[in-house]
Amino acid sequence: MIGQALLLPKNARLTAGVFVCALLLNGCASLLFPQTASLRDARPADLAASAELEEVPFFPQTEYQCGPAALATVLAHAKVKVTPDDLVAQVYVPARKGSLQVEMLAAARRHGLVSYQLAPRLEDMLREIAAGTPVIVLQNLGIGPFDNWHYAVAVGYDLDSGELFLRSGEKERQVLPTLLHEFVWKKSDYWAMVAVPPDRIPATAEESRWLASIAALERAGNARAARVAYATFLKRWPENVNASVGLANTHHAAGELKDAEKVLRAALARQPDSVVVLNNLAQALSDEGRNTEALALVERAVALGGPFASAVSETRDLILKRIKR
Amino acid sequence: MTSVMKRALCNLLIVLMAWTPFQMAYAGVISTDQAVTASAQADRAAVLSVISRSDVSGQLQALGLDAATAKDRVAAMTDEEVRSLNGQLQAVPAGGDGWVIAAVILIGVLIWYFWFRR
Repeated sequence: MIGQALLLPKNARLTAGVFVCALLLNGCASLLFPQTASLRDARPADLAASAELEEVPFFPQTEYQCGPAALATVLAHAKVKVTPDDLVAQVYVPARKGSLQVEMLAAARRHGLVSYQLAPRLEDMLREIAAGTPVIVLQNLGIGPFDNWHYAVAVGYDLDSGELFLRSGEKERQVLPTLLHEFVWKKSDYWAMVAVPPDRIPATAEESRWLASIAALERAGNARAARVAYATFLKRWPENVNASVGLANTHHAAGELKDAEKVLRAALARQPDSVVVLNNLAQALSDEGRNTEALALVERAVALGGPFASAVSETRDLILKRIKR
Repeated sequence: MTSVMKRALCNLLIVLMAWTPFQMAYAGVISTDQAVTASAQADRAAVLSVISRSDVSGQLQALGLDAATAKDRVAAMTDEEVRSLNGQLQAVPAGGDGWVIAAVILIGVLIWYFWFRR
């Protein structure tokens, strides 16, 4: 009886201690690994509990070449025939013994894919994997003041076991606790990218940033792939005038002036005071030899002013010159 | 023509040749890239872009790339990307060698712990 009476407060103390520790640990977890913690506490109902893209190929990295290896993994998954060695000349910077983020994005464009930097959220990364897209992540495996940047490709996850599966370095299937990944991922501000064929839209793509990504592909010189991407974009967001401008520009670049005109006229009907649409339509008509019509449109653009004023006035000069000739 | 003038002309031509690949493919049309990132001063941005492209290309060459490779690589970037890299090539992260340093430090710490702490 006495023993029991003594035991009770001891037990209570123990319980209290465990409770406090758990509370502290929980607090620590949400401080150190806020994204993992919030995913654990409030799992989105529409996110699959686990997914793994087993078909994603693996290219073991040679010294310092995790950039080309990670990129080749994603490109090959998107049916681009390429090896890490081919990509060394496109992303590797010898004096830095590594590859830069910007160049990882840019190099994917050179192979006709649209590259997209994800929003810095663990949830978005998982959503991309669940939708069938492997994700390149930039981790910092250094300790303290030593930076040690490393690219890996996330190909799977399991929310119940809290694990992430990656193609990383020389490991074909690295199993990393999600909170450990969050810890090494944080220093890159949660940098992650996907590269997808132009007829696809990433699961987490935001309208304006996705459009800018397609414009980047067009800028890099791949008008054919960009055209497919704009058309796909317009199926999802038909009201976007800038996407119509992009689609028309890819037609214009290919010399398909009638197609460019058709797209721009439809865009103009939706947004009659778009300087860019007016200017580009005027240019297309003028290139078709219809300079009088073109002049009327470009005059409207001149009257509207704005950031493209000098480009517009150049177009006007060109049209006037063609009329005089 | 004096030799000074000749040299000046040659320099100008070299600079112009270096810039040519970065210029827009066709005149008159406002590019999608510009339309999407319309800033208050689109022309100024376009001029700056040409300059910073040749800057970044030069900086990449200084880090061990040949001229043609550097130019091709810069050509695949957007104006914004070029701006973000300009002058930052030594500072931005460069993903490279994976576990090596972390592993070395970890092994060092473990050895220290087991030899000196026990």
